[in-house]
Amino acid sequence: MSNADIRAKLIDGAAIIYPGPYLNQLRGERVERRCREILTEGIRNLVINFEETELVNSIGISLLLGVIDAVDESAGKIILTNLNATTRELFDVLGILSKVDIAGSEEAALLVMHAGNTPARPSETEADRQ
Amino acid sequence: MKLTSRKMLHTIGALADLGVEISSAHDFDEVMKASLHMLLGSLAIRKGAIWVYSSRPRQLKAVAAKGVKDVIGNCMPLSKDEAACFVSTGRAFQPGAEGDPLVNFAQLSIEQLGQLATRLTIPMIARQELMGVIFISAKFSGEPFDDEEIDLIDTIARHVGVAIYNHRLLASVKRKAEENRRLYRELRATYQSTIKAFAAAIDLKDAYTKGHSDRVARYSEAIATEMGVTGTELEHISVAGYLHNIGKITVDRAIINNPRPLTEHEFKELNTHVLTGYEILSSINHPWNKIAYMTKCHHERVDGGGYPQGLRGDQIPLGARIVTVADSFDAMMTDRPYRSRLPLDLALAELEKNVGRQFDPDVVRAFCRLLLKEVNGQAPRILTSTSGRGYDRDRVSAALVSMANGSGRSEIVPLALSN
Repeated sequence: MSNADIRAKLIDGAAIIYPGPYLNQLRGERVERRCREILTEGIRNLVINFEETELVNSIGISLLLGVIDAVDESAGKIILTNLNATTRELFDVLGILSKVDIAGSEEAALLVMHAGNTPARPSETEADRQ
Repeated sequence: MKLTSRKMLHTIGALADLGVEISSAHDFDEVMKASLHMLLGSLAIRKGAIWVYSSRPRQLKAVAAKGVKDVIGNCMPLSKDEAACFVSTGRAFQPGAEGDPLVNFAQLSIEQLGQLATRLTIPMIARQELMGVIFISAKFSGEPFDDEEIDLIDTIARHVGVAIYNHRLLASVKRKAEENRRLYRELRATYQSTIKAFAAAIDLKDAYTKGHSDRVARYSEAIATEMGVTGTELEHISVAGYLHNIGKITVDRAIINNPRPLTEHEFKELNTHVLTGYEILSSINHPWNKIAYMTKCHHERVDGGGYPQGLRGDQIPLGARIVTVADSFDAMMTDRPYRSRLPLDLALAELEKNVGRQFDPDVVRAFCRLLLKEVNGQAPRILTSTSGRGYDRDRVSAALVSMANGSGRSEIVPLALSN
C-alpha cells in the first residue's frame, strides 16, 4: 500500500501532513507510516493539517494517537491545525486536546514551533473564536 | 467524563464500524487488528492488545497489539480455573486488585505486557465460553475510566468475542468439510479399486480375456466422452464397462474356455450371464440400477435380434450400446480360444458390416472419430492400445473418415479381405 497519496511538505524544518477528507483505517495507516518515515528522516516537528478532513472515525483516532506517541518518543513536537468544529469537539471530548496543541493555521503552528513558545490553548484559537 | 452527544455519536460510529468489520471476509488477524483500533479509538485509549484463548493447549495468544512491541504471536498459559474465572467475572476489571483470583495471571501478563501498563483486563465471552482477553492501558488523557466507558468497552469486547466465535465456527466447518472431502476421495478410490478388482476377478475365469473388462471400461468411457457424455452418466458407463461380464462368475469355466463351437445348451448357459449380472448389480441401491440395466442390455442389438429382451434402437440404453461396441471391438482385437485376434482393418470391416444391425450408427461414428484421432496421433492411444502399429495407416484413416462421416461404405471390407 502506497503512502504517496498522503500529501506532505517540509517548511522550515517542520513537516506538514494532510490526512485528506476521511481519517479512517486506510488513510490513517498511510498517515501513520508517512509520519514514521518523516521521523526516521530526523524531522521531529510535525504539523497535521486537517483543513480537508471532514470525518475522523475511531480507527483514525487510534492511529492518530499512535502518531502522537511516536512524536513524543522522538522528543519531537506535534501540532494539529485547521480542525473543523466537529473534529475539534470530538478531539476535545476524547481528551486529546488536553495533551496535544492545536493551532488555527499552519502559519500559526509554525510560528509556535520556531519560537519554541507554548501555543495558544484550544480555547484561545481562531477556530474556537469562530 | 460523561458521554456527550458528540462522544455518543463517535462510539455508535465505532460500534457500527466494528459490526461491518467483524462480519467482513477480511483475514482474521486483520479483523482483530481493526477491532482493537476501534476499541482504542472509541475512547482515545493509548495502548492495547487482543489475546485469543485456545483450550488445547490452554493458553492465550496475542493476535493484535498497539503500543506494545514484539508481542504478536506470544502465548501465555491460562489454567482451566483461570479461564472459568474470566467467564464468571464476565466484564472488565482492574488486574491485580485486592481479591483478584487471577493474581498469578496478572503477574504473568505484566511480564508479557510491561509496556502496556494494563489498566483494564476485559474477557471476551461468547456462548458462555472464553474467547480471549483484551488488555488496555489508560486513556490518552490520563483520566480514569468511568462506568459508562467500561460498559462500552464490555460491549465492544462482546462483539469481538462473537467475531472470534464465528471465526472458530467457520474454521471448524472448513475443517469438517475438508475432512469430508478427504473421506469422499478415499471412498471413491476404494469404490474404484473394488470395481477394478471385481473386473479382474471376472476376467480370471478366462485366460484369454485377461484385462478385457478393464479395456472395455476404458474404451466405453472414451467413446462416451467423444459423444459428449459427461459427469455421473460417464462414470456409470465406465463402471458398466468394468462389470458387464460380472454374470459370468456363475458360468461354467469349461464353457467359457471351450475352443470348439458351443452347443445350444452351452450357448444358453453362457447367455444367462447378462441376467445373472443384472440380478447381482440391481440389488445395489441407486444409481447402480442404471448400471445393472446397462450390463443386462450389452448383448442387445439395435435391429432387435439380441438378447435377453430383443430390444431395438433407443430402447437399449446408450451406455449399453456403447459397451456393446467396446466389448465387440476388444473381443475382435484379442486372441480367443476359438480364433486368433483380427487385424485392425478387418475388425473395422466387421464393425462397419454390423452398423445398424448389431451396433448403433451414432456410437460407431463416435468410435471411428476417436480411433481416427489416435491413428493420426492426435489423441492418446486407448482404442489402439492392443493393436500395435501393424496396420496400413493411410487405408485405415481413409476408411475411418468415411465411417465417421457415415458417408456410405468405406470399401475397407474388400481391401481388408483381399489381404
